[in-house]
Amino acid sequence: MTQPLLSVNGVSKYFGGLKAVDEVDFDVFPREILGILGPNGAGKTVLFNLISGIYQPTAGEVHFCGQRIDGLPPHLIAQRGMGRTFQIVKPFGSLTVLQNVLVARGVMRYGHLTKIWGPWGSKAEIREAMEVLDKVGLTELAQRKASLLPLGNLRRLEIARALIVGHTVLLLDESFSGLRHDEIGQLERLIRRIRDDGRTIILIEHNMRVTMGLCDRIVVLDHGRKIAEGAPKDIQQDEAVIEAYLGRKGISHAS
Amino acid sequence: MSSYTITIGTIIVIQAIAVCGLNVIVGYAGQISLGHAAFFGIGAYTAAMLSTKAGLSFWTALPLVIAIGGFIGFLLGLPSIRVREDFLAITTIGINFIVEAVFRYVPFFGGALGIGGIPRIVFFGERLKGMTFLLLCLVFLFLVLLVCWWLTRCWASLACYAVRDEESAASTMGISHVRFKLLAFVIGTSMAALAGSLYAHYMQFINAGDFSFPVSVGFLSMLVLGGMGTIWGPVIGTLILGVLPEIFRPLVDYRILFYTLLLLLMIRFQPGGLLGEESAMRRVLAPILRRGKA
Ligand SMILES: Nc1ncnc2c1ncn2[C@@H]1O[C@H](COP(=O)(O)OP(=O)(O)O)[C@@H](O)[C@H]1O
Ligand SMILES: [Mg+2]
Repeated sequence: MTQPLLSVNGVSKYFGGLKAVDEVDFDVFPREILGILGPNGAGKTVLFNLISGIYQPTAGEVHFCGQRIDGLPPHLIAQRGMGRTFQIVKPFGSLTVLQNVLVARGVMRYGHLTKIWGPWGSKAEIREAMEVLDKVGLTELAQRKASLLPLGNLRRLEIARALIVGHTVLLLDESFSGLRHDEIGQLERLIRRIRDDGRTIILIEHNMRVTMGLCDRIVVLDHGRKIAEGAPKDIQQDEAVIEAYLGRKGISHAS
Repeated sequence: MSSYTITIGTIIVIQAIAVCGLNVIVGYAGQISLGHAAFFGIGAYTAAMLSTKAGLSFWTALPLVIAIGGFIGFLLGLPSIRVREDFLAITTIGINFIVEAVFRYVPFFGGALGIGGIPRIVFFGERLKGMTFLLLCLVFLFLVLLVCWWLTRCWASLACYAVRDEESAASTMGISHVRFKLLAFVIGTSMAALAGSLYAHYMQFINAGDFSFPVSVGFLSMLVLGGMGTIWGPVIGTLILGVLPEIFRPLVDYRILFYTLLLLLMIRFQPGGLLGEESAMRRVLAPILRRGKA
């Protein structure tokens, strides 16, 4: 069995009395696409915030490439090769699309105090950034101000930035939401390609069809707890999952 | 040029240098500072002490003044930038009052009397005053503008903008918000210290009151009027607010009221300042500039 790339051990996050994430365990293996599923408020985004260092866990440990990362500030975790997107998009509004990617590309200059004073994009860096923009289909909008883009394009921009930072792991938080039908298909293909390039992806997704089709394995959260983990087809038949998520949805559809 | 015009001009140029520094902190890095006069004062007092007590010339003292200004900026900035944005305004006001009080009440800094007898700047055997001093200040302003221009071209500025726009997203892109806010703070306060040094050697006599809180409000008004984050905004803003009270004398007495009103009006109607991207002035100027190019 291969070593897990990322392992989450007994991680909890309490906000006052609310157990947003409650003793969650799972491992992620290299080149896997892992889905995180769960109803609204299940603690999925909080879990991402714990992994990427925005929040510190109340209890538990997170290991990345064999090293403990919980407690590290987010920028140090990013520098180790973890990239992420935000469910509520966070573009750098005053920068162009290209600059948004270049600033993320700077993660590689970082720590070299002399390099940060260099011009913001060398030819090679701009080429690299344009390649990433091409991957997500934003080439034409490279010079556009990020604050002027519609949501669908902002979601792609988030992925472009995460791609350049996350040379090992990408965390995608509901990247499909708000996309048109054809855009969903494109994004699915993109995610597969990224994985085939050798990266590992963890994604939070509400769209059942997408999650089932794309993920190798799925972890299901409900009220902060992990209630199931397994291959998509097993998850679909899991009692607890049907109860917590599919079932509730089924009932609301029926009514 | 009359000596009166030269005096006004010199003060405006010195203030413009300080406001450029404020622009790096507020405009580029998005951190509100209402205590910039403190750092202007720290530069002035350091220059005054080094020349009157240690007998250093302006030129030998200058690197020290800038370094000390930046270092104190670093020390005071470290705790300040960790607080939430709205607290930062209050913290910087606090810094301004404390620094002013230290100058006023600590006998080492001349106490209430301030420091006098600050020598003129000597350049190749020539003691600079009047026009030559103004020229020297203009050279420094030019150098500061050059640094500011480069700051908009280098990667560090992208990082500062990113932190300003979306701090948490920047951090997950590997950018430490503490480091870049601090960097902007240190650069901005060193520029203020440079301006302070010029001020001390120009006035030859300084007093704690020259660096009080209303001066900080003035600096911020100049910046907001001209356009935060633009390169020429600080110069335009300082020029207008420096010349206006000379034309309308009564304004002098109501300076603070005027500054505050102006700040509020600008933020309400033209938050980008006169030279801001979406400003009315840009819209008027744009076709003219385009025609000029064609
Ligand atoms: N910073 C916070 N402070 C307090 N409660 C929070 C905070 N962030 C999230 N929560 C709560 O934690 C729970 C899980 O939220 P979240 O992870 O965003 O859900 P989702 O699974 O839909 O992404 C919710 O009840 C939410 O209100
Ligand atoms: Mg969420």
